[in-house]
Formats: sequence, C-alpha cells, structure tokens
Amino acid sequence: MADNVSVDDETATHLLRKMLRITLAEDEIKELYGDGEIPGFVHLDYGHQGSHVGMGAAMGDGDWLAVGGARLVGQYMAKGVPLTEIMAELYGKTGGSNKGTGGQMHVSDVDRKLYGHAATIGSGQNPAVGLALAEQMKGTDNVAVTTIGDGGTSRGSFHTALVFAAYWSLPVVFIIENNQWAISTPAEALPPDHLSDYGEPLHIHNESIDGSDVEEVYNTVSAAIERARNGEGPSVIESRVVRLGPHFEGDKQVYRDEAEFERLKREKDPVRKFRERLLDAGVLTEDDVDGMVAEIEAEIEEAVEFARESPEPEPSAAYENVYRLPLYGQGE
Amino acid sequence: MTREITYIEAVAEALNEEMARDEDVVLFGEDVESFGGNFGETAGLYEEYGGKRVRNTPLSEIGIAGMALGAAVGGLRPVGELQFADFAATAGDEIFNQIPKQPYVSGGKLTAPLTIFAPSGAGIGAGAQHSQSVQSWLGNVPGWVVVTATTPYDAKGLFKSAIRDDNPVFFLPHKMLSETKGEVPEEEYTIPLGEASVEHAGDDVTVVATQLMFHRAREAAANLDVDVELINPRTFAPLDTDTIAASVEKTGKLVVVDETVERYGTQGHIANEVVENHFFSLDAPPKTIGVKDVPIPFSPVLEQEVLPSVERIQAGIESVL
Repeated sequence: MADNVSVDDETATHLLRKMLRITLAEDEIKELYGDGEIPGFVHLDYGHQGSHVGMGAAMGDGDWLAVGGARLVGQYMAKGVPLTEIMAELYGKTGGSNKGTGGQMHVSDVDRKLYGHAATIGSGQNPAVGLALAEQMKGTDNVAVTTIGDGGTSRGSFHTALVFAAYWSLPVVFIIENNQWAISTPAEALPPDHLSDYGEPLHIHNESIDGSDVEEVYNTVSAAIERARNGEGPSVIESRVVRLGPHFEGDKQVYRDEAEFERLKREKDPVRKFRERLLDAGVLTEDDVDGMVAEIEAEIEEAVEFARESPEPEPSAAYENVYRLPLYGQGE
Repeated sequence: MTREITYIEAVAEALNEEMARDEDVVLFGEDVESFGGNFGETAGLYEEYGGKRVRNTPLSEIGIAGMALGAAVGGLRPVGELQFADFAATAGDEIFNQIPKQPYVSGGKLTAPLTIFAPSGAGIGAGAQHSQSVQSWLGNVPGWVVVTATTPYDAKGLFKSAIRDDNPVFFLPHKMLSETKGEVPEEEYTIPLGEASVEHAGDDVTVVATQLMFHRAREAAANLDVDVELINPRTFAPLDTDTIAASVEKTGKLVVVDETVERYGTQGHIANEVVENHFFSLDAPPKTIGVKDVPIPFSPVLEQEVLPSVERIQAGIESVL
C-alpha cells in the first residue's frame, strides 16, 4: 500500500475509476436532460460519489442493496447495473433495466440484488429488513445494505426498521448519507449530534464517518458487513457527504450560501480529493487517469447510443405486469 | 368427506396446511405466537413450527408490511397479519405505494408473493377504527389482489390460494363470521382467485354480496317471493365481471350490497362495470347498498343503523323489480 492510502493499489485504482465513471456519466446525463432528451426529472450525485463507490466496493454480489435518499444513479452504478440499461431507463425505453416503467427513481435489478428504491423517501428500510430476514432464513451469509438521506431519518418507517432489525439482530447495514440538506431544510437543525446516534438507544453499532473519503466509507462499510455476516447484527453508519449540486436539475438553490458552497467544492469533492491523493502517493500518473477517462467516455457514448436506439415501449405495455396472471387456480 | 367447522378454524387450518406444505411460508404479526391471534386464527402454529417461522413482531404495521415486502422479494412467501383491516392505513405507504407498485415499476422482474391477513368488518361494537371494510381502499390500487371470505369453505380454500399466489394478496375475513359454522371437506382443496361463485341460481334479480352482507342478502331473499340469483364475488380485485354480467343478462336486474361506505365504494364500481359494458342487459337501474356515509359508530344501536340491514336489502331488491 502506498503512503497515506489505506487500501492496496488495485483497490484504490478501482475506487477512483468507479467514482470518475459516476461523475462523467452524470455530466452527460445533466447535458442530455438540459437538452430535453431525458424526460421527467433527475437528481444527480455530485458530492456523493465516494460514499456510493465505497459502499458498492464493500458489498458482495450476493448482498442486497435497497437504495434511498435522492442521489440514486451512482448507487445503481455502484451495484453493477450496466450503464446501458440505466441510461435507457432514464430515457423510458424498452432497453432499460425496468423496460421504461421505472425511470430514474425506480431502477431495480433483482438478478444483481438491487432491490430498487422507495421513491416516497424513507420507506426502503423495512423491505431491507425483510430481505435480510429472507437471506438469514435461507441460511446464506448475505446481508442487506440500505441507504437513506438525512431527510428520510425523520420518517417513522426508518425508526421502525431499526427496531425490527435490532429485535431479531438481522444482517442489515443502514447507511445515512447526510449531505446536510433535505432539499432546503438543513440537517444541522435536527436534534442529534450525528444521525447515526438514532441507533444508540437500540444498542445498534453506530458511527459517523467522513463520507467524502471513499477509503473511509469502504473500510467502515466492509467492517459493518463483516459483522453482519458473522451474526453480530445491524449497524447504522452516518456518511457525512456534501451536496455539490442542486436537489434536482432546475433547483436554483436560493437557500444556500454561495461562498460556503464554493468552499465545500474545494475541500469536500470526493473525486478530486482521492485523485490528488493517488497522484501524490504515486499510485497513478496523470496519464493513467487520462487513460481511464478516455475509456469511461467511450463507455458512456456507447450507453447513450444504446438508449437513443432502444425502442419506445408499445402503448399496450402500460397494462403489463400489474398482475402475474392467471391468478392462483384461475381458469383451471 | 366433509365436516362442520367454524370459519376461524378454517382460517387456522389453511395457515397450518400451507406452512406444512411449503417451508418458505412464514407468519409474522402482533400476538401470533402463543397468544394465538385475536380471534384464535394462529393458535398452535408457534408450537408446531417454532419461533423462526412464526414471529411476534413489535407493534408496527409499517414494519410488518414493509418486512413482508422485502421477505417476499428475497424468496420467502410471507403472511403478515394486521390485527384489524383498519390498520392498513397505519402502514399507508407500504400498503398503497410500495407493495402494489414495486412489481410493476420493476418491469415485472420483481415478484412479491406475500399475503396480508386482516380481519375486517363491523358488528362487534369495536368502534370507528376497528370496524371498517377496506376493500374499496385496496381495490383502488392496481397491483393488489383483494380477496374476502363468506363461508368456512371459502375461508380455507381462498386463504390457501392467496398464500400460493405470486401476487401481493390482501385477504379480508370478516370478524362477525368467526364463529359461524359450515361444511368444509376433509381433503385438501383450494378455490381459484379471481372467480366469482353463483351461490344460488335464480331468474328474477341478481344480488351481489360477500361476507356478512351475503348472509343478510340470503335472508332478505328468503323473505321475498322473488327468485334471486345470489353471487359471491370472492375476489374484489381484479373482479370477475363476466360472471356478474352473465347473470344480469339473464335477470335484467342488479342489486349490489357491501359493507364499504357507499361513497366511492365497491358497490358503485361493480354496478358501473355492468352499466358501462352491459347496459342493454338491464331492465331497471341497478341498486347499490352500503354503509351510510359515516364512520362506524360504537353504540350497537347506531352501528346497526348504518350497516345494511336485512330490511334495507329487502327494500333494495323490491325497488328494482
């Protein structure tokens, strides 16, 4: 391991590549949305990339991810959903992960153990408890990881999930991505010192970490998953990140202080920080990074091309998958 | 071979048989362990199947419904019990936004083969928050299969099918019928979901009703010199409109009775299915009968006032003749 880097060179390179991939994909999505190519609305991850990638790299293929918060695309990417399918889903096309019925807020891929998202905010944690229960009852050592934003922690459903997970000591890792803003409501106005403190009265292992440091996220989530695999029950991690963009594209952010926003950009951009750390430590050279960027840009171009060429759904597809038919015994 | 058992015994037998048949079936809810459920519906299951498959939960319907969703996606076949159907609202987001929509928005890749079991209906003096019939709430959310039970035979056969079905199913037995007895086969059987049953053939008027209202409608019919065709829809959603329409084709008259409030209730939907698609079968405007548009009051006198009575149903049948 290089000086000042806590993971081996291969892991470090992987982490940076994944973070750059999210950033560059979202730069493209931002532009396509601005041009009116992507319908609906989009929330982008800027500032959360380290938290998403550190978490994704800590998880095994068999572990479930139930995503929450509003910063979603990076989480889908971190769980391994192909960029082509994510991009086509944003376009609402048939080549999308959900054949166009989900959109940016509902990408799911159960084959890759991405449960999906409770877009009402804060309702994904109890399903994560159920996923963990299923894994435990089937005798695997797989765990369920679930994310939520600072805003969602005020929902009763979040607290219920903590109670249920603690009640049976289930293998669930709760990650609170605290980016300090529930749209325009600041998290610092919430009573706890750290939002992970909510685990304290339930005797759930809890800690608060710098979520803009991808290594810290990777190491902390890896340890929490290991505990869960070993039957030591749930953990609550507050991953303190910053929101280096609007809540959704179009949000003018009139509630934010401009100088403070610029300071956070300089000091807390997880991608810039990690890139500089790896260059300083000699893990990578500028040429290496440029090579990575070129590869990623080619992948993104291919994904956009795939999404553009993917067919629109037939209107009749709106009526599919409401029910699995026939119902039990029906028509026999 | 058949024997007479109670409605609640039929429910308990269904659960027991499905748990014995499929080890992925797990039961959780409030007081389902040695307490045996509020109506005795889970008696003996904890002792038989143990604490891994029969779990008391902390008091949160959000937790029960949300965990059922995840457990179903994760490969189990959970039965989540809510002590009263009214409590569906305390897990509102799970019941209305999460469970019925996740399979659809996944493009059909995600399945949620779960059953929510929740006793419904009025008549036991339980007041405004323990007496409602919620099939109209649930029927309004595509994705739920909404099933009820009118007899012990229905209760057992339909609950077993509900557990085996790969869709989210909301199973609504009626509290007032718990101790009623009926014939149930000794042998294993199931009843198809999504299919109505013509319980009594007749030529003059079609009466559609389930649960307690079915029994009151049968009494009303017996009091009249009218040849009533009595249809038990069994599944409220998706509704078997073909069976109802075929009956109205024959009788030309339709009366729908249910315990949901009349305003935006199931009765209006069922009647509308016939009016929209089979208008020229009708010889008279359909009659809909439900709970008056008020919460269920406590006083037994007031409670019976707002529930459709045998007399109201009789008058309703006479009004279309």
